[in-house]
Amino acid sequence: MKQKRDVQQGTLALMVLRTLDVLGAQHGYGIARRIEQISGDVLAVNQGTLYPVLLRLEQEGAIASAWGPSENNRRARFYRLTRAGRKLLETEKRDWEQSAAIVARFFEVKAEDLA
Amino acid sequence: MMALRRLFSRVRKIATLHRDDARLREELDEHLALQTEDNLRTGMTPAEAHRQAALKLGAVATIRENYHAEEGLPFFELLLHDALYATRRLAKAPVFTTVVVLTLALGIGANAAIFSVVHAVLLRPLAYNQPDRLVFVGEDRPAAKITGDGFSWSSFLDLRQHHAVFSSVTGLAGHALTLTGRGEPADTSTIAVTPGFFSVFATTPLIGRALNDADGAQGAAPVVVLSEVLWRNRFGADPAVIGTPIELDQRAFTIVGVMPASLRTPFFDQAEQVWIPLLQDPLFSHWIARPPQTHWMPVIARLQPGVSLRRTQAELDAFSVSTERASSEEQGWIAKAQPLQQILVGDLRPPLLLLLCAVALVLAIACANIANLLLTQATSRSKEIAVRIALGASHGRIARQLLTESALLGLVGGAAGLILAWRSVPALVLLLPANLPRLRSIHVDAAVLTFTLVLSLAASLAFGLAPVFFAAQSDPQSTLRSGGGAGETRGSRRARNLLAAGEVALAAILLIGAGLLLRSFARLLSVGPGFATEQVVKAQISLPRFQYARPEQWAAFAADLLTRVQAQPGMRDAAFAAPLPILDDAVTLPFSIAGNPPPAQGNADTANYVAASPDYFRVLGISLVRGRVFTADDASSTPPVAVISQALAERYFPHQDPIGRHMMFGFPPRGDVSREIVGVVADVHDVSLARAPGPLMYVPFAQAPFWGGDVVVRSGLSTAAVAATIRTETRAIDKNLPVTQVEAFPAALSASLAWPRFRTLLLGGFGGVALVLAALGIYGVVSFSVSSRAREIGVRMTMGASPAHVQRLVLGESTRLALLGLAVGIPAALALARLVAALLFGIAPWDPLTFAAVALLLVTVTLAAAYLPAHQAARTDPMKALRSE
Repeated sequence: MKQKRDVQQGTLALMVLRTLDVLGAQHGYGIARRIEQISGDVLAVNQGTLYPVLLRLEQEGAIASAWGPSENNRRARFYRLTRAGRKLLETEKRDWEQSAAIVARFFEVKAEDLA
Repeated sequence: MMALRRLFSRVRKIATLHRDDARLREELDEHLALQTEDNLRTGMTPAEAHRQAALKLGAVATIRENYHAEEGLPFFELLLHDALYATRRLAKAPVFTTVVVLTLALGIGANAAIFSVVHAVLLRPLAYNQPDRLVFVGEDRPAAKITGDGFSWSSFLDLRQHHAVFSSVTGLAGHALTLTGRGEPADTSTIAVTPGFFSVFATTPLIGRALNDADGAQGAAPVVVLSEVLWRNRFGADPAVIGTPIELDQRAFTIVGVMPASLRTPFFDQAEQVWIPLLQDPLFSHWIARPPQTHWMPVIARLQPGVSLRRTQAELDAFSVSTERASSEEQGWIAKAQPLQQILVGDLRPPLLLLLCAVALVLAIACANIANLLLTQATSRSKEIAVRIALGASHGRIARQLLTESALLGLVGGAAGLILAWRSVPALVLLLPANLPRLRSIHVDAAVLTFTLVLSLAASLAFGLAPVFFAAQSDPQSTLRSGGGAGETRGSRRARNLLAAGEVALAAILLIGAGLLLRSFARLLSVGPGFATEQVVKAQISLPRFQYARPEQWAAFAADLLTRVQAQPGMRDAAFAAPLPILDDAVTLPFSIAGNPPPAQGNADTANYVAASPDYFRVLGISLVRGRVFTADDASSTPPVAVISQALAERYFPHQDPIGRHMMFGFPPRGDVSREIVGVVADVHDVSLARAPGPLMYVPFAQAPFWGGDVVVRSGLSTAAVAATIRTETRAIDKNLPVTQVEAFPAALSASLAWPRFRTLLLGGFGGVALVLAALGIYGVVSFSVSSRAREIGVRMTMGASPAHVQRLVLGESTRLALLGLAVGIPAALALARLVAALLFGIAPWDPLTFAAVALLLVTVTLAAAYLPAHQAARTDPMKALRSE
């Protein structure tokens, strides 16, 4: 079994938002599962941090939650993105792309470029 | 925005005690179920599927903990929880709690009380509009080593012309004039001011108007402004007084305004007061015109907005050396500006700060004591703490719990201390010298409350940290295994010993300080003033200067009064003089000696000056050394004579006979009268007991009278009887003359020692408290050590140690603590004693007797404190001690 990496602090919220953006309303297990799937099972979502993050996002108004029937017809808590959450995701996405681009540029740089 | 929304949501959760625990549980159950199903689909057995799902989910308790951390405001919830727990614990140990709270109350209460004095006197801004803009302007004459003198009138006029940095400037001078016209004649504090006075203090009148420039002009009609208190007490707050006349020294002044009670004149802080233009003053108006110019007038100015003190001083420096001044008599005088507040309370800073430091030491000792108690407790609590750590409490969590407990103790102690301060401040005010500036404003106010709160928390942190430190070190396994008995770690035992030694060190510092002040105060009391005060009564009489305008009238009045008083039975020893030594402000005048080369310009020798009737020397027991004292024949018609003190004779007539020589001096305006020296008398302390006697020159009152002075009577009669006679005889001459400051001389002298007495008493009291606290600390440490070593002592005794041996062992241990404390405390006291050197009189700050006595006292008290536990230890029944484990 290959070693799985824990999701980095701070990026988990972004992943949650994006997952809900793509797939619509999901319950906690679903979110964790999708994140792991999308990462090609490279990432492991720590449930100890997932649920507090969900609560925090809900407190911030980025997501809303309601009870709904799960696949096995029991009650599960479903989370969905709110308008504020979509806006937050946009900003976060821009920020993320920006920092990723900067870091990428650092990796690409060669000594002669700076000569 | 989002943060705000989160906070709101969290607060709501706390407020409603609403928990989504059930929701989380259900979510997690569902999570587990879904995972299990997924696992089953991959072909696991049901049991394995469930196990793997649970493993993947992790510890549900941790998830819930993290979840709740997001949910509410855990900091405050824990605080509340800890506080409730601490309250329960403290309530269960009432003796411990009471001892700690009382100790703290004493320490914090004393600090709050002293701080309320320091705050009211030193720190609180003066009660004027924008007080930081007010400066005192004085003149120095570096060449003659004169500092902080007032302005001369001409110099003041120059300054007023050049006052670009000031928005207004005023000169002021105060004395008592007799107010008549309504009710009893009364001495009334009269402030002679230039018209700028009220704009300097930025005060507007309650009714009527302030003084204006026209009032201050030569030849203006005399007007007066009343203080609100005088207006209420004497004029029944009648608004119709405006425009009506009152009489000051029997000259009519028209009332033009009343100033609110909030306006108190600096240097002349009386509630009942009047202000008149300086040019209308019966005394000071004469000082203005005639040369030689003396520097007598304090000047207060208000700085222009935005002008700094530094810039002001630069302007004043330029002013001081300006060309017009260079050619005048003012040459060499340098104007200096200082914040008014600094001038008013500057002298009080060292003694008050000393008291504040002393009282802080007391609190430090109290804290050490409590830290010790808490350590003792923590040792016996180690099992409880070990169990809690074993059950998963983090060290941080335990530390918070312990600190919450000490903070609770600190706050309760602080509250009790505040009550103590609130009750004791009025008593403290009574103890303080009556002439202390802003004495009336000393009380427990918001600033004192804040100070006390901060102090309580700081104190609880100070004594709360030690147990936390040792709790953090403790190892739950070994504690639980050892049975958690009274066994203490070596570290905490050493900490408690160090704390006790520290208490001894602090107490040593405090006691040495108190001892030094006490010894110096005793020295001060034993100083003979140089004159006899027993059975002497003094009374002051001031003559109204409009009615008694001429010096001959003053002399005649004094002669008349003395004749009348001396004619009464038992009152033969009566004299009249001004000023009296120590009680009155000294009059210092320049003099020159005939036959000596004239001194350089502005460098005249000075001596203090007394005008006295012939019997003065006999009444006050000032012995004649050579020549003669004054007689009734020394009158205004005979050649002027003088008597000088031994100090003057020795300094200015070394190896010469001063008798028959002539000196030139006199009270302005007659400053240059040649007088023949007819006698030399013994020295007296004329300024204060602490100041060595300086040169003194006496003149016959008949030849150089003042507009009043003091009657001194030596009599076997009671003070009241003497006072009554003086009053009756004064009234017989003029029924409008007030007799004031009637007192037995010894009592008046004792009042002049109010400051040294106050600080000695207070520091002595603090020293006593420190001693008791240190003794309690030693007792606590030793008795705890004895009880926790009971088994060891039992073993020793079984092995043949005698009770005396055990007792010596315990006493030896405590002696070592005391010696350790002294080894730190005495060098520290030696270093700190230099700071009190200025307050000492007649002893060195390293006074060996004080140091030795304090060391001896502390060792004795330590042994006494350790005696009881040592005695107990010696009576240990070895069998019992061994069996008790």
